[in-house]
Amino acid sequence: MDRNKILQTIRKNKAQAAPLPKTFSTPEEEPKKLLDRFKEILQQVGGECFDVKGAENLNLFVEEHFPGAKDFRKKETWEKYPPGCGKEELSQLGAVILEAQFGVAENGAVWMDESNFPNRLVPFIAEKLVVCLDSEQICGNMHTAYSRLGNRTNGFGVFVSGPSKTADIEQNLVLGAHGAKEYFVVLF
Amino acid sequence: MNLKNLHIGLFIPCYIDQFYPQVGIATLELLQKLGLDVHYPLEQTCCGQPLANSGSEKEAIPVYKNFVENFSRFDYVVSPSGSCVYHVREHYNILEQTDEVERVRKNTFELCEFIVDILKTDDLKIEYPHKVGIHQSCHGLRGLKLGTPSELVTERSSKVHRLLKKAKGIEIIGLDREDECCGFGGTFSVFEPDVSVKMGKDRLEDHLRNGVEIITATDMSCLMHLEGIARRQKHNLKAVHIAEILNSNRL
Amino acid sequence: MTGHAHKAGQFLKNGERASWHDETLWIVRQKRDKMARAVPEWESLREQASQIKQHTLSELDNYLIQFEQQAVKNGVQVHWAANAGGFNEIVSGIIKENNARKVVKSKSMLTEECGLNPFLEKQGVEVTDTDLGERIIQFRDEPPSHIVMPAIHLKKEEISELFHEKLHTEKGNSDPAYLTAAARLHLRQKFLEAEVAITGVNFAVAETGAVVVCTNEGNADMGVHAAPVQIHCVGIEKIIPRMEDLGVFTRLLARSATGQPVTAYTSHYLAPKPGGQMHIVIVDNGRSQHLGKEDYRNALKCIRCGACMNTCPVYRKSGGHSYGSVIPGPIGSILAPHTNSKKYKDLPFASSLCGSCSNVCPVKIDIHDQLYRWRQDLSEKKIVSPGKRATMKVAGKVLSGSRMYDLSGKMARWGIKNLPRMFIYNRLNVWGKGRELPEIPKESFKQWYKKTHQGKGGKNGQE
Repeated sequence: MDRNKILQTIRKNKAQAAPLPKTFSTPEEEPKKLLDRFKEILQQVGGECFDVKGAENLNLFVEEHFPGAKDFRKKETWEKYPPGCGKEELSQLGAVILEAQFGVAENGAVWMDESNFPNRLVPFIAEKLVVCLDSEQICGNMHTAYSRLGNRTNGFGVFVSGPSKTADIEQNLVLGAHGAKEYFVVLF
Repeated sequence: MNLKNLHIGLFIPCYIDQFYPQVGIATLELLQKLGLDVHYPLEQTCCGQPLANSGSEKEAIPVYKNFVENFSRFDYVVSPSGSCVYHVREHYNILEQTDEVERVRKNTFELCEFIVDILKTDDLKIEYPHKVGIHQSCHGLRGLKLGTPSELVTERSSKVHRLLKKAKGIEIIGLDREDECCGFGGTFSVFEPDVSVKMGKDRLEDHLRNGVEIITATDMSCLMHLEGIARRQKHNLKAVHIAEILNSNRL
Repeated sequence: MTGHAHKAGQFLKNGERASWHDETLWIVRQKRDKMARAVPEWESLREQASQIKQHTLSELDNYLIQFEQQAVKNGVQVHWAANAGGFNEIVSGIIKENNARKVVKSKSMLTEECGLNPFLEKQGVEVTDTDLGERIIQFRDEPPSHIVMPAIHLKKEEISELFHEKLHTEKGNSDPAYLTAAARLHLRQKFLEAEVAITGVNFAVAETGAVVVCTNEGNADMGVHAAPVQIHCVGIEKIIPRMEDLGVFTRLLARSATGQPVTAYTSHYLAPKPGGQMHIVIVDNGRSQHLGKEDYRNALKCIRCGACMNTCPVYRKSGGHSYGSVIPGPIGSILAPHTNSKKYKDLPFASSLCGSCSNVCPVKIDIHDQLYRWRQDLSEKKIVSPGKRATMKVAGKVLSGSRMYDLSGKMARWGIKNLPRMFIYNRLNVWGKGRELPEIPKESFKQWYKKTHQGKGGKNGQE
């Protein structure tokens, strides 16, 4: 059996015990700074940021700015695209609106998992991705991001930072390789 | 520390001995001007690096032993080559670590670091009214840590710059790539001649583009390579070892 | 001339193109510097990453078992492959079981190493590489020249020509946005048709059984979520202990690789989608043997960021294909000889040992020291050319005593000074290919010293 063969060779060859280092952490900055950094980096990674300053302004803003977008914060949209729904149908999605759980200032990323979309393909197959994020839910860096996640995991989760991109042709940056061509974060 | 009592061994690397005696002379004169008691053991040859870098570390052992035999009795061994010094410090680990070997490995210094770290001075009262480009030789920079390599995110410093900056009238020219390898690399220069020459040409062009008149380094080997290309390409660029610049002083 | 030197010479024949290649990658190196410097704790982060890997390699068996247990608990089917052949069989077995014919694959150097594509294609399976750069080189039927930027050796005009032929794009239109859009359409169709999606893995987390894949294009996710069957291929060294360790590695990876703060997508796959299948294939293929070589063990820490390639002047000026190994550049040069030391004997010599690779490495692999060590080992095992070894033997004799040394020096200087130029600058003198020899002084330093310091110096330094 390959499994045992591999494990046996490892046991024979592995390095002498070395301790697992302590959790790496950095001091967390004040929220205002984190928010500013998040906005700045988001732009650098090709995303666009809106700050509607307050949950009460969110829905109106989103409806006005992204008319016709499929809003997955609504139950009826959620039910229209269940896990088993056709790929062809999903590929017609166009613009979608999702809610993210938190953001990361140092790289402009947001975290979403299966509780934020009914079908895993949704955030990737959409042409235009609009993410709503509570501006109080922004942490400094990936250390705090993962400590926030802890071992709370479901089947699939993703950090998204900006639109899909490639630079595979002569290092020229092109947005919209396979996933979203346009990417927006609406802070509330 | 009473410098007068220090017993200094001068190590002149093989290619400097054979091709660039003026660099050896400058080093000797400079150390003497600094008030040191300098000795040049006549039985010295080479640090052994050309062999070891080609994979023949074992054949180099007698060469290493010869070095230790010649130099273990000194308080410090000083050499105008970062690369050779790095080799002694780093790669003499394959010898049996006798007191002599350990002493030599610990006490062998590149000229600039010896002046800055041991003599604790950086003002050699030099006047050098030229546009100078500094080639940061890799073994000095990354091996001996004579300065902060551009890859690292640590506080920036450079012993070579510190010494040269004090020269009156000098203009140290900034380069587009501050510390890229020149492509000499010892036997690399003959095993991979095309890449080696291309690397050298590109380094030279950086210096020329930015208006350098004199290119200097802690290692004559890099300069031998760069100068060889410059002469072939008929560029008007002079290569001067840092010992020669530092020795142009009025101490 | 050795393999790498020869192929590098070919690459350098087109000087302008070589300079372009060099400059393009140098820009990536500069982006990396800028990103690294924006993280004040960068150096301790590297140290942390290195130590986590060190620890993991010392407990690798236990972490693999823990990973397997967690993955199985999540509903994943875990497979083990001791070598490339076994790996290919396992993947093809999964494809057959599902009666699949169409496979999409996102970037995986492991599948490249094992030759998965040709294996599957022989069995009539259509494998489409979905990373744009990979698709380009797949169309050209050539290996990647860089592990992160597989088509970095190509000019956009060549890609335009290729896409015109394969995807019927406009002739002569080499606008990268236009070409990317054409590839997007073409690959979108492949994603929708695929029955199986294969990915590589950046990190596998023992604590939770998660496999983490980082892409900018979103191609791994498009493939994995669209196909009913997903297969993740992971080398045993990709394991990390805890979720929190991802914080360390995701901060380092993209900054080191492309100078981005993070990749556009950092995807965590734990369980199959409803109604789908998720497989993880754990692959050894020589890694557990490599683990036993203490001097070289560190190389297994590699997270495949490619930073050592971008910083390496030899790589930049000779191109990835000159290495002839699956993974090129400095890290490739210390990995490849483990798989075949004869075939890759010249790679440890394809370096000026400048040490820049070790300084950019996010997990602090002592790359240039391992290159040096390989040189010694290959020479000891008599794998380097006998000519080279004989020369070194003679040199060792000459340099170990001052009498022979002084005499040879005198002869060499006399020769260079007095022989006609054609005797010196001919094809045997590789130095003279692009360089002049130094001007020969009338006397050596030692001769000058003896003359001016009569009676001084000598073996015992008596004056």
